Parts: sequence; C-alpha cells; structure tokens
Amino acid sequence: MALLEEPIKEVKVIKNYIDGEWVESKGEVVDVVNPATCQTIAKVPISTKEEIDAAVEAAKAAFPDWRRTTPLARSRILFRLKELLEENFEEVSRIQTQEHGKTIDESRGETRRGIENVEVACGIPSLMQGYYSEDIATGIDEWVIPTPLGVFGIIGPFNFPFMIPLWSAPYAVATGNCVVIKPSSEVPNSQTRLAELADEAGFPPGVWNVVHGGRTVVNGMLDHPDIEGIAFVGSTPTAKNVIYPRCGATGKRVIAQGGAKNFMVIMPDTNMRATIPALMTSFFGNAGQRCLSGANLLIVGEDDGFYNTFMDAVTATASGIIIGYGLDEAVQMGPVHDIEKKERILGYIESGLKQGAKLRLDGRKNIKITGDYPETCFLGPTIFEDAAPDMKIGSEEIFGPVMSVMRAKNLTEAIEICNASTYANAHAIFTSSGSHAKEFQYNVVSGNVGINIGIVAPMAFFPFSGMKDSFFGILHTQGKEAVRFFTESKVIIQRWL
Amino acid sequence: MKLHTASETISFAKKLENESAKFYKDLSQKYGKEEDAFLSFGEENRKNIAQTERAYYGVITDAIEGCFAFDVETDEYTFETELADKANYADALSRAIEIEEKIIKFYSDAAEQSSSLMADVPRAFKMIAKKRRNREEKLRALLEK
Repeated sequence: MALLEEPIKEVKVIKNYIDGEWVESKGEVVDVVNPATCQTIAKVPISTKEEIDAAVEAAKAAFPDWRRTTPLARSRILFRLKELLEENFEEVSRIQTQEHGKTIDESRGETRRGIENVEVACGIPSLMQGYYSEDIATGIDEWVIPTPLGVFGIIGPFNFPFMIPLWSAPYAVATGNCVVIKPSSEVPNSQTRLAELADEAGFPPGVWNVVHGGRTVVNGMLDHPDIEGIAFVGSTPTAKNVIYPRCGATGKRVIAQGGAKNFMVIMPDTNMRATIPALMTSFFGNAGQRCLSGANLLIVGEDDGFYNTFMDAVTATASGIIIGYGLDEAVQMGPVHDIEKKERILGYIESGLKQGAKLRLDGRKNIKITGDYPETCFLGPTIFEDAAPDMKIGSEEIFGPVMSVMRAKNLTEAIEICNASTYANAHAIFTSSGSHAKEFQYNVVSGNVGINIGIVAPMAFFPFSGMKDSFFGILHTQGKEAVRFFTESKVIIQRWL
Repeated sequence: MKLHTASETISFAKKLENESAKFYKDLSQKYGKEEDAFLSFGEENRKNIAQTERAYYGVITDAIEGCFAFDVETDEYTFETELADKANYADALSRAIEIEEKIIKFYSDAAEQSSSLMADVPRAFKMIAKKRRNREEKLRALLEK
C-alpha cells in the first residue's frame, strides 16, 4: 500500500491564536520533529508570560458578550465546527500521524473521538438546562440556572494532540465560557489546525485562544487570577504535585488527569481469537503511549497448559507487528514520540531484567522497520514474563510498548493485585463468564472498567473517569460532567410580595 | 500480500469496487442490450464505497482494533478485468460472475475476521456481500437467457 501524502510540507514558525488573530510570539522557538522520519516539520514558540496574560485578557474581555450569546447560537457555531472537522477529517488525522507518530488508523480514531465531543456539546441548549420547583413553600418557587464562570485554561499532553483538548474545550465554550488552550509543545500542529477551523466556524475573537509553550505558560495559567479553572491531562507527578495543589491554592476548579498502570486480566475461559487483537491494540497501539494502554497482563489460573498456549499466541502475534511510519497504511505500530522517551523506556526494560523478570520478546533487538526510516525513535513490542507488581516494570508507568506478564491463582487474587496498584485508570477483564465479569466490575477499583475491551475509552457522552493516582479532582471531562465542571449552579428563590 | 489494518483493508475494498466498476462500464459500452444493467452495477459499486467508508470513518476509534482486525491475503481476491479479443458476450458474463465470486468472498472473509472487533464495518461488509450475491444471480440469469 502506498504512503499517504503528508499534509505539512514546509517548516513554518507556529503562531499563537489570541483574540481572533494569529500572533507571532516573542519567545524562543524549538523544532517540532516527525518521530518516524526525524525531520523537522515546524517550529513552535515557547511563549512568554506576557503572551499568556494577553490571551487571558482577551478571553476575559470576550466573556460578557459570549455569555449573552444564546446557547442555541453558540451550538450553531459548534455545529459549523463539526462540519469543518468532517470536511478536513483526513488532513487533521494525517497531521497527528506526522507530528506524533501514531498510525493512520489511530489518528483517524483520535479525530473521530474529538469530533464526537463537539457533537455532544452541540446539544448544549438541552444539556445546560436548569431545574425548577414550584411552591417549595406556599407561594415561593426555587430554581437552578447553570451559569458560565469566565475563562478556563486547558492543558493538553503529547500523546493525543488533537482529541484531548476536545474533551473539555467544546463544553467550556458551549456553556458560555472562553478558553485558552496550551497544547503540548511537542505536537502543536493539531491544535493550531483546530484553531484555524474554530476561527472559520465563527467563534468571536477571544472565545477560543491557543498559546504554545511550556512551563511559563502553565505557570501563567495556574497563577492567573482571571482563570477560573484548569482542565489538565498529563503525567501523575504533574497532576498530583503541580496542577492539583496549585489550583487548590489559587481557588480554581480543576480536572487533573494523570497516568496509569492498567491490568488486563485474562480468565482461562476467554475467547482467545478475539482477545489477542484486543491485547495487541491495548499494549502496543499508539506505541503504548496512552493512559488507557494495557501495562500488566495478569493471567488467572494455575493451568500451565492454558498459560503456555495463550502466551505463545500473544508472542507470535506481537513479534509479527508491522512497524514503520504511520502514514503507511500497512503499519500497525509507529515510533515512540522522541529519543528521550525511548531512552526512558529502555531504562525500564533494563530495570525489569535487573529485578528478575525474563524477556520473552525483546523489542530492542532486530527492529524491522518497514520503509527507509532511521531507527532513532522506533522500538519493537517487548514482553516480560515472571514480572511482579512490586517491580518497577510492574508498578510504574512506562508509557511504551512493554507488556509485563504476571499470574494470579484465581480471580479474587487478581482483583487484589489490581487494587494494590496506586493507579486506577482502566483495568479490564477478558472472559466468557458473566459471573466473572460481574465480580470483576463490582470489586475492582478503577475509574474505567473494561469487559472484553482492551482500550476502555469512554464515549463523549460519558465521563472519562479515573481514580487514585490517575485522577485528581471531582468532576471529569466529557459529557454531562464537563457541563457541570464548566458551570456554577446559581440557585434562585423567588417570592412575590 | 497480507492486509492487517482497517485502513489498508478499506483501501483494498475500494480498489476492488473501482476495478469492477470499470469492468462493467466497459461491458456497457460493448454490449448495448444490457447497458442499463451494467451501468447500474457500476453505480452500486460507488454506493458500496460510500457505505464502507461511512462505516469505517463513523466507528473508527482508539477503542477498537483498527490495526489488528484483519488478516486478508489479497492474492485470494484479485481478478482479471481484461477480456480476450475474441471473447464473446457469454465469456464476458462468465468473467463477471468470477469477479463477483471473488468480491463476495473478500467481503465475507473480511467480515468474519473483524466480527466483534470493528463494530459497524463487518456489518457493512456483510450487507455488501449480500448485494453482490444478488448481482451474481442477475448475471447468471443473463447468461442463461
């Protein structure tokens, strides 16, 4: 199959989008590199404090008029954005592959998930309706109006450059707030293209802003008195030690989604034929760089025959995965995002060996890359056996294509192992038994639970949950919870004298 | 050549539809008495592509196994669309039936491989296989006429 055409053809310096204008930053610029080809595809500014302040000021100034714009009128702009995203679906998807490295199927999946959030937010005239009680006492009525708050900051990670800001932004603006988005500086092109389409859709100046950069921009958001809340997705250390406490200290609402260490629990009664592709997607899809990825494969039962048959099938399939540039339609796994991330993953593989786990499949060796690309960011699927939950590879987030295989005597023990993890993002069970599924779903501590699903990605009309060290906050992104997050309940009690 | 990803499988389905549409267009020009039937097959192929793409782009998400859902050996489904100079109408219809058999097998196998993994895509494949079975029957009826 042919290599799909790259949408980014020349290296440009990316601009910020502030108050409806494309503004050149005064900050230094750094290269944005395609991890498959190692070629520079853009230059992104590390914006200054003055620039984040200007964006917040523009958003604050736009808020009164935007709030007065009716929910129906706001939803019409979102409908227009949805149409533009559909029209530009393929370009937007290929940009993600070009700047992130994921396969084209994965990028299209990301685009679809992002658009679905815009679609759900289009229903804002119904979604943000309040409620009313007549005669709470004789002649006295009481009702609730969800009201927007002002300016919100949205901070996105590198692993889903297009979709993750859309878990929040459509709901924020649909409810009448204004947003300042800070994409990851490693993958800024997707949000830049999205802002161009938001501009074309007709959002008034200042409602939708994008400021590129790093810590200065994040700190500028966290400290800014005019930012009412932050929606953050990133690593657990940043979510737990920076975003969550700083928002608490400055009185901001916060959604802080962190990392994960997801267990995929395999019961001996599982449908092996369907389970293997699901596990490949879970552990090696997106090169393992997602908070919903499987990390630990926990095989239940003491039947060595089942274990060996299952692991033979897993290993055979994993070793045949086609690796290469994601714009090649045949490729099943792209590179990890950059050399630093690859080095970090290699460090975990070394630590696994030192702590006594055994490599069943070594992704460091003999990486067969389809096409003529440098090996720099590529890594093959790696499978450890004899791993344990207390090893670094069994307990810490690796964020790469590494599977750590463990065993449990029975389902009860498997659930105990899952629940001992400090993370609780997306554990899953693979079984043909309704009884096992029910027991797992009821007892496992996990924000999202999969039953025969390897990537437990909630649809846009459900919250993207998370517990323990995977989530800090109360309300989640997506759907009704996002609407609640971006509005305050104004309660009115009325009596006519 | 083996296909594993949804993207390349959808592209392959599109290729089969386009190649067979061209074959029917040629037949319509060569055999005017069944021009309408052959042209309608080509039009149906266009709708099949739209139906497949709608299913794929509508359900593709990171939650389903887009890169691991298929194991399609393309050699099993490729067909020859060029007819020999001395081929007659019956030869052309026989070739059309052969083409339809290959395409039906492709859609049926791909649907089977991806059932429970690719949501609406296998359903769309099954529906197209059914439509093409009907077409095959029409072609057989023309051959027997």
